Formats: sequence, C-alpha cells, structure tokens
Amino acid sequence: MSVMTLDDQRSQMSSPKVEILIDRCAGCQECVIRCPVGALGMDPVTWTALADSELCVGCRQCVRTCPFSAITVDGPMVLEPRVEISVRHPQHLAGSLSETRPGIASWDDALKEASRCLSCPDPTCVRGCPAHNDIPGFIAAISHGDLDEAHAVLARTTFLPDVCSRVCDQAIQCEGACSWSLAGGIPVAIGALERFVADNAPIPPLEQIGDGGKGLKVAVVGSGPAGIGAAWTLCQAGAQVSVFEKDAEPGGLLRWGIPDFTLPKAVERRCWDDLVSAGVQLRLGEEVRPDKLGELLEHHDAVVLANGAGNPIRLPVKGGDTEAIWDATRFLTSAREALAAGQSMVELLGQPQAPSSQEPPVVLVVGGGNTAMDVARLSRRLGAKAVCVDWMDRRFAPVRPDELEEAEAEGVEIRFSTTLASLEAGGDRPITAHLDGTRQDNPGELPKVVIHDVDALGVDLVVMAMGYRLDPSFAPLSPASPVYRRALSGIADRRWEASGILAVSAPEYARHQPVGRLSMGREEARVRAGLPAAERVWVAGDALVGPATVVEAMAQGRAAAHALLSDRRIARGPSSDQGARGALRVLVAYESRGGNTERVAKRIAELINIAAAKVTVAKLEQVHSADIAQADLVVVGTWVEGFVVAGVHVAARTRRWAAQLPWLGEKPLATFCTYGVSPKRALLELRETLESHGAKVVAEASFGPAATRRADKAPAVETFANTLLGMHDPNRMGGVRRIPR
Amino acid sequence: MTILAEAEPSASPPSPEPNVIDPVSVAVRLRQPARSGIKERFSPTDPLPGWDLARHPRVARILHNRKFQFFLILPNQIIFWAVIFLGLLGTVVPGLNFATAITWYIWFCLVFVLMVVVGRGWCVMCPFGGFAEWIQRRALWQRAQHRLGLGKKMPEPLARYGFLLSVATFLVLTWIEEFFNIAGPGNPAFTSFMVIGIVASALIFFLVFERRSFCRYVCPLSALIGTVGAMGSVAGFRTRDRQVCLDCKTKDCMRGSEDGYGCPWYTWPGSADSNLSCGLCSECYKSCPEENVGLFLQKPLTSVVAPKRRRADVAWAVAALWGLVIFQQVNALGIYTTVDGWLNSHMDFPNYPNPVDYIGIIGLVTAITAGVVLVMSRLFGHRDAPARGDLANEGVESKDSFMQATSRFRSFFLPVAYGLIPVVGADYFARQLPKFFKHATRIVPAVENIFGAGSTSATLYNTHLLSNPGIVMVQVAVIALGTLASVWATWRISSRELAPIASRPLAARLSAVGLVVACGLAASILYVLMHAAS
Repeated sequence: MSVMTLDDQRSQMSSPKVEILIDRCAGCQECVIRCPVGALGMDPVTWTALADSELCVGCRQCVRTCPFSAITVDGPMVLEPRVEISVRHPQHLAGSLSETRPGIASWDDALKEASRCLSCPDPTCVRGCPAHNDIPGFIAAISHGDLDEAHAVLARTTFLPDVCSRVCDQAIQCEGACSWSLAGGIPVAIGALERFVADNAPIPPLEQIGDGGKGLKVAVVGSGPAGIGAAWTLCQAGAQVSVFEKDAEPGGLLRWGIPDFTLPKAVERRCWDDLVSAGVQLRLGEEVRPDKLGELLEHHDAVVLANGAGNPIRLPVKGGDTEAIWDATRFLTSAREALAAGQSMVELLGQPQAPSSQEPPVVLVVGGGNTAMDVARLSRRLGAKAVCVDWMDRRFAPVRPDELEEAEAEGVEIRFSTTLASLEAGGDRPITAHLDGTRQDNPGELPKVVIHDVDALGVDLVVMAMGYRLDPSFAPLSPASPVYRRALSGIADRRWEASGILAVSAPEYARHQPVGRLSMGREEARVRAGLPAAERVWVAGDALVGPATVVEAMAQGRAAAHALLSDRRIARGPSSDQGARGALRVLVAYESRGGNTERVAKRIAELINIAAAKVTVAKLEQVHSADIAQADLVVVGTWVEGFVVAGVHVAARTRRWAAQLPWLGEKPLATFCTYGVSPKRALLELRETLESHGAKVVAEASFGPAATRRADKAPAVETFANTLLGMHDPNRMGGVRRIPR
Repeated sequence: MTILAEAEPSASPPSPEPNVIDPVSVAVRLRQPARSGIKERFSPTDPLPGWDLARHPRVARILHNRKFQFFLILPNQIIFWAVIFLGLLGTVVPGLNFATAITWYIWFCLVFVLMVVVGRGWCVMCPFGGFAEWIQRRALWQRAQHRLGLGKKMPEPLARYGFLLSVATFLVLTWIEEFFNIAGPGNPAFTSFMVIGIVASALIFFLVFERRSFCRYVCPLSALIGTVGAMGSVAGFRTRDRQVCLDCKTKDCMRGSEDGYGCPWYTWPGSADSNLSCGLCSECYKSCPEENVGLFLQKPLTSVVAPKRRRADVAWAVAALWGLVIFQQVNALGIYTTVDGWLNSHMDFPNYPNPVDYIGIIGLVTAITAGVVLVMSRLFGHRDAPARGDLANEGVESKDSFMQATSRFRSFFLPVAYGLIPVVGADYFARQLPKFFKHATRIVPAVENIFGAGSTSATLYNTHLLSNPGIVMVQVAVIALGTLASVWATWRISSRELAPIASRPLAARLSAVGLVVACGLAASILYVLMHAAS
C-alpha cells in the first residue's frame, strides 16, 4: 500500500509562495484559523499574519477568506493527481443492464484519493453538499481504514450514500466547492469516496435518535427522495410514519426516472427495504389527490407532501397529435420494464412488422438535458437509433458534460441548435419530423429559429424529454411553490462568506458556475422546506422547488421532518413526552428608530424569558427565513411613521421586510407597534401583509408614549407578554387578540 | 518567533442534536486563534473603557443611525459644489470669490485643527470621497446591496507602499498649487479646476477599486491627515472586548452586514492600535452583531507614542512631509527665489517652482533627517542587537518587502520619525496661520459678493486678525508647542524602543531629542526669516 504524504508531495514539487500584504493585513486571523495545514501564524510585534511557504500546499483558502484581500498565494498546488475512474461502456449495448460508471476499485486507490483531502477546518465542500454531509469527517474515517465510522459520519446527514454517490452532479455540489476546485485545481473525488464507503461496507440500519416524534402519526405523500428523507428522519425520532405512493412500487423518481445503467435496481430498492424493516408503513397504489388532504389530516397529526414534480413538459408542435409522441416518464418506465424483460424497441413500440427493411427503429428525443440523455441511452440499449434535438447552443446546454460524453460514446446523435418544427405522418418511417435550425449567442437569451426546415427525419417514436413541472392541482396547497433556488438578493450570510465559498465567482471544475451562490440558493430552499405550507402541512423536494436533484430533495425532506418534530401546534399522543420539544422558542424582531420599540421588544423578551421560553431578540433586518423557521412564535415590533395622525403607517423598513417574507404556512406571529399620538390602522395594514404571506397573526398591541417611556413598568407590555405566553397552549392559538391600550 | 494557532481542539466532531437544523456547524472545526502576547501587544494603545463615547445612549443612537455620516458630508458637499460653480462663474477677484475664500482661508486651516484635535475628523465629512462613495454604493446612506463599479483591489505593487502613494500625490498637488498659484491666491477658476480634479479622480478610483481605496492610498491629504492626526484625541472605533473579536467567526465589521458596510478603510477594530486608518465612518460600529465596538477618546499623542507597530510608510511619510513643509518655508526666502530663477532660465522652465529645486529641497531635507538618524544608528546602535522585527520573523522566509524589511537603521528611524510627528504637524499648522489671520474675514464679503453686494472696499476685506509680527509670534509659539510635544513623545518612545537596542542608551535618547529640537528651531528660524523677507 503506497500512499503519498503531504511531505512526500512537497519534496517532489516546488512550493507555493505566500505573500501577506502587511499594509492591509489587520491581524484578524480569519486565514489563520482556517488554514488546513497550519502554515499561517501571527507576528507578535506587527500583529499581522505570517506565512510559512514551506508548509503551504497552495489551496488558497486564506486568499478566499481574507476580508481585506491582504494575502496572495502564487505557484503550484501541492496535490497528487486524482485517481482515475474510467467509464465502463458495455461492449454489447443492446439489452445491457450493467452500470456504466464504476467506483474506486481498490483500497489503495481509496486511500490515495482520501489523502488528497485537506480536512479543511471550515470545509466549503460541506456547504456545497445540499445535505451538508461531514465530508472531511467521513474521508478521515476512510484514511483510518474504518468504513463503519465513515458510515456513522454519513448517517448523521444522509440515508442515501449509495444513491447520491451514483447520481449526484458533484461538479456543482461538493466537488465544485472543494477547496482545490475553488483554487482552480482538481477536487477530491468525494462522490467516488462516498460510493467506496457505500459499496464496501453495509449501510447501517436505521437507528432511532431520541423520541421527539414519539406518539406522532405522520403521513408522507410520495416515496421519492424527499419522502425518503422525511420518513427516515421521522422514523428515527420514533414517529409512526405512513408513506402513500401512487405507483405499485416505491422509489418515485429513483425508480422511474433513473435508468439501471446509472442506478442499479438493487441499490434503488435498498433504502425502501431498510425503511420498511424499520417500521415505516408503505401504502402502495394509494394516490393522494389534493381533495384527500383534509381526510389525511384527520387521521394523521401532520402531513409531508413530497409528491415531486412529475408533470412532463410537452412542446406544442404542428402535427403533434399522433400516438407516437410519448413523454419521458412513460418512455423511461416502459423502456426500463422492456429492458428487464429482454425486449427490444420494436416490441416496445408494438410495431407489427419491422419498419422498412431491417434498419433499427429511430427515436427522436426532444430535449438535450439529462433526462433526454437517459431516454436516448435507453433507446440505444433497446436496439434503436437515438437522435436528440435541443434548441440551445451546445455551449450553454443544461446537460452534465460527462453524461453528454457517455451518450455520444454510446452512439447517440445529439443535434444542438436544432428544434422540432412539425411532424407529419408518412415517409420512409411512420413519422417525418421537420427540424429548424436555431441560434443562441449567450446563455441568457432564448434561442431563435434562423433556418427553417433544415432537415427532415424519418422517425418511429418521438419522446418529449424537456423536463417536468409541478402538478398544478396541488398549487392551492403549496402557494409558495415553486421556490426558485436562486440565492436571494439579500446580503450573504457571513458564515458562508467567511468560509470562502463565495469568493470564487465560477470555478472551472464547476463548469464555470458560481458554486457558492448555487449552494446558498439550495440552502435557502432547504430552509423554506422547514416552513410549513399550512398548519400541520409541509412541502418538500421537487413539489416545493420544481425539478431538482435527489440529494436536495432528501435534505428538504429532512428539513421538513425536523420542523414538524419541533412544531408545538401538533398535538401528540398521551404516551409522548411533551417536554421533548423543548422550551417555547420565541423570536422577538423589532424595527426601532429612536430606541422606544427596541426597549419594548427587549422588555417583552425579558418577560417571556422569565417564563422559561427560549427567546431571541433581533433587529428586523437581521431576521431571515431560517430564524422564522426555527421559532414557534414570532413577535414583530415596529414604530409607526407619519405626521401626528396623518399618513400613519408602520415604518417603511418593516413594510419592506414584511413584503419579502417567504410563505409562512400559518406560523403564529404577534405584532406590536409604538406610536406617538395614534397608531391608526398601522397594525391592521401590517396584519394584512403578514396574512397575505400565510402568517397567522395571533395577537396585536400598540403602545403609546406612556408605555414606551417606562417599558419596564408598563402594565400593557406585561399583559401583552402574558398573552403571548398563554399561546403556549396550542388550543388557544387562534383568532386575533387585541390587547387593550 | 511566530505565534501559531493552537491545534484543533479535538479530532472527533461533536454529535449533532437529533433535530439540528444547521448541520454545517458540526463539520466546522476551526483552529483556535492565537492569543498569547495579545495583552502586552495592545495594552499600551487600548483606550480606557470609560473613554467610550458610544456608552452614552444619545451618542450610540446617533452612531447607529445610518444617516450619521451623510449629514456630516452634506454641508461640505453643498459648500464644495458651490466652490466649483462660483470659482468658475463668480468674480475673478480672488479675495472676493467664495471659492478662494472658503477653500484657502477657512477650510485648509480647519482641516489642520481637525487633524490635530480629532485625527481623521475631516475624512468622515469629506465631500470628495463622500460623493464618490454615494455613487459607488448607489445610496446616500442606506446599506445597499449592489455596488456600482468594478470593485478591484488596489494593485499590490502600489498597496505595499502604504501611505507613500498618498504622499506622492500630495507633493504633486502642492507643486501644481504653487505652479498655478491657486492658493496664492490666484485665479479662482483654478480652485474650481482643482476641486473638480479631486472629485473626478476620486470618482474614477471609487468606480474602479473597492471600498475607500482612493482615501486609503491615493487621496493627497490621506497621509498628512493620517500621520499628523496621530496627535489627535479621538482613538477611533475600537473593540470593547478583544476576546469577543477573536472569537467572532463572521467579522461583520470587515465583511459588512445588513446594518453596515465592511470597513471602507481596511481597518479592524479588533487590532487597531492607532487612529491612523480609522475614517470614523462608524460602519463597523453599525455592523457589529455583538455591540462590541465603541468610539473611544484617547490622550493626545497616544497614537504617536504608544503603538508597538511602527510602520515604515508612516515614518518615510513624516520625513517627506517634513521636507515639503520646509520647502514651503524656504520658498519665501530671497536666496530661493534667486536659485529658482537661475534654474528656470537655464532649463527654459516658465516659472516658479522649478521641479528640480522643488524635489531637490524636499529630497534633501528628507535625506538629511534620515541621514542624521543613520549616523545615530551607527554611533549608538548596539552592534549585536537584533534589528527590530528580526525576532518576530525568525524561522520564516526573509522579509524583503518595503513594509517588512528590517535593519539597524530602520530600528532607529521608525521610532524617531514617529517622534517628529508633532513638530511636523505644528509646522503645517503654523504655515496656514498667515492666510487665516490675514484673510479669514474675507469670507463675509465673498459671501456677500455671491449676491452682488461684497466689494474690495468692504471693511472686512482688508481686516487682519493679527499683524504680521503677531502672526510670526503665534507661528513660533505653535512650533514651540509642537516641539515640546515632540520632545516629550520622543523621550517616551526612545526609552522604550531605542534604549534596548542602543549601546549608549542615554546618548541615543538625547540625540533623538536633539534632532527634534533642531527641527523645531529650524522651523522657527525660517518663520522669522520668512517674515523678514516679506
């Protein structure tokens, strides 16, 4: 077994050169506490950072993390080449069920790859991973040769290491956010190492952690990744979980959306086998339509909607009313079954005779994304010729480069800058497809048709594989969906900024995508999954954000389950420990100008705190979705603007804050304002805004000059705080209470 | 010696709580920041907790208000746009033009008062940087999220010389001012052009570079205010509890938060040991989530005497600025006029000041000052004594950059130059006094003139607040005061920083004080000679 140590590598490579710009270095030690190799220290006289280039490995995390750009690193990265894992294309494609991407073959290779991990003190890869797996933690366990420990580390955040390591697009997640990748190098093969763990040691059975869910009866709608994440977390907490799946087999997208050559059936089935044996009740063939939700809520304490985004998008095309147009879901499901049964495309299409001579059938796949590649590659395995057309330019196509490469290696013909114009019956094949040429000059603009009827193609089947959208019938249940996973326009979380993940706008390895911003967008979606859609209802996964990835859906399912477990409005059975939910979590958020509102807010917090609630006080602009998601009750305080009694409204900042709130799903909010002469209709206006975002305003109070000046003695403030504490009882959390002035 | 961060606290990460919402924190295993020696390093410069102005609720409220700096900038903004327009459109009689009167008779003197009393008091209200910053931030006072401009870093080859670029721009601007006789007073339009030039260059720099790179590196007044301002009694925004700053994982004061921008001046309240680069803008105060930043006062001269870190750029800036102010005194002497005229006629240069003698005199004075210190270091420097900073850099690759280089000469020059600050500051201040005492009252007819009323026959137009001999006496008194301050500062500094590295400590200290006294005497004598010449 030969594993290179950092010292060995250093002896073979020239060292990077670290320079500290002494003029700007403020000695804040942001670089010192984050340097993976301890190459940075402090000069005790100048109190600026000192670097030891001999120790430096060139990962440049110091450069990314320095708030004042006072450090530069030049020279090479002290880094071994990544372990090569080649793609394994089957020699006989037709009828093949074998997996194309192998894992790391040997312990030697695994250790070699694991040694490339720097174990960064502030690991950006963890932020890049939507599930926030402790990547340095599990890689360290591999280095120690302890795969069980690696599993134990992974099991804290993921239930699907075998699935995610196969299907994740690591380039724009963990690996794109790896320190090496952000520095312009080749990242640690995190996905391959995760797969090495999953493939070489049994995934530990579901372990019960705490009993926060004891006595809870929860329904999870959908058995895809989000449903798995929710069911797993709820089951771990001791809840009684029933999963409703409309199909005859569980797995959702894992089952019908990902072909066997990427995700073998055995792997896909493993998680449901484990969940069922852990006690999750799986109710197959039971579709939950929106009108059935009420009934479900009657029999369950809470519901997690994880029914995905399965409505295929169809391109409206002239002559498209033929039976020979399938959507991707139908094709993927049927093709998978046909392949398993040893059938060919001719049999799948049910064509009575081999169409015109012995030539293989032709499948036209409309779309050039990952689903389209799966359709085309399955077609090839069914013995058909596959042609993909996509109107986007090849440079901007939303397809994983490795998938594109693999598809082309398997003989799929992919025509970018081409779109389907019309279909007509007849020709040398059952259908003739007329194609137009398009042009797209930059990724932000929609392609334009520039040449009409550039080609006519005889095809046997047209598959629309342009993606999916949410089922519109569920829209009233989840008014906030789809939550777009772009980073919100607010000022970035400083913890993320400090890690350095946002410092690189677009790493080459992440296909020139801003992996930090993408990660923050995913994080925002995860936080949103923790906010209820309605009382006792949460939405997670593709049903919340539209088509996304397996790992994001699982993480959101977990976030929804965590929120559900700590929600105080959910009544539990008599046997459960009501204390498991912990103290009442109250967030007091205020917008203060002269200090009056702040004084009242702090007094309210103080009064609530006496009653053993967990109270957080924060300025309004510092309160984000995550803070709201983690509070049982949010108290919003504001001053009112206006001239005496004219034009009296709540402060403009409060109005702006309220207007950009996420959907709050009947989260209880209490409001108060401080005023000089009269609050007029200020609180009513605020309530209307909050309610339009789904909040449930449970109490309101306005405090005049007498109360605000002596907030510590004002009885009105005390009455308000007591009323809020009365909300401890979930049954009393209804209707707006007005506190007399 | 390098203080290294302590090793990671434990190899195994803590187990997350069952319902933990943010699993990232579980995987974050930051090293402990270095803390050893921090008390000795900062205790001489840390202001007393009781001197924190922000402890007073009213002050705290003002500082928390985002409009704090806006309202300080606004009046100056109005005045200097008036200067631009009135300089171009108003009367060509310099003494009656608002642009000339306000800029050269009032403003320049007030800037020096602010420097000596406050430090960067002018910077917080500066309309030039202020205007450019409004554009850069796309906001007058709000915490906007998207800035305008390229947001580049100041190129390192320039930034590594710290404040010296600012000294260079000050030398250039002063030469231009002398050449065109802008403050002389010359044509008021030239004052407008100068202000337009400053505003335009500030705007360009703010749009190309991030934060206040212009103010920190390029602004002609920045080095002067920074160095002379060290005498000031405002310590600036500093940490209240350094341990809280060390434990802070987000550094909102540097990176910015919802409440405030990251420090525009590249200063961290957690490590600031002088008021050199605190622009008093209060952004760190606003953005600190822990309310751990205060606005502190300090005893006068603290930022001259106490800092343990002596910056090479500041030391050379002091020497060069000293050269410039001496030039501005020498240029009033007859002998200078003869030499300048001779050089101009031989070089076909149109008029005073000839760049050769301008740079020559400044360079000569700077070189003489440094040369004296060089002789001191050779005479009194302990042959075996390690150069200042050598210990700190042991085991780390050689520090050959301008800011980090160490030598026996530097070990003497840096502290001695800091000791010169009060006398240099006093000389600049004294240099402005004649204009103030002779012409400050002209502001009244100049303002009247805007409305068509003021004239050169107005009483105030020719009113001098002091007679010429009176002015010289005040100037000499100011120099004497500055020299005294310098003597005191040098005596303190030398006891801590020269004595340990000198073979003859007392002689070294006395010679440093001697240099300061010689500088003070030279300046005083020059004022008397200037008066005699005029």
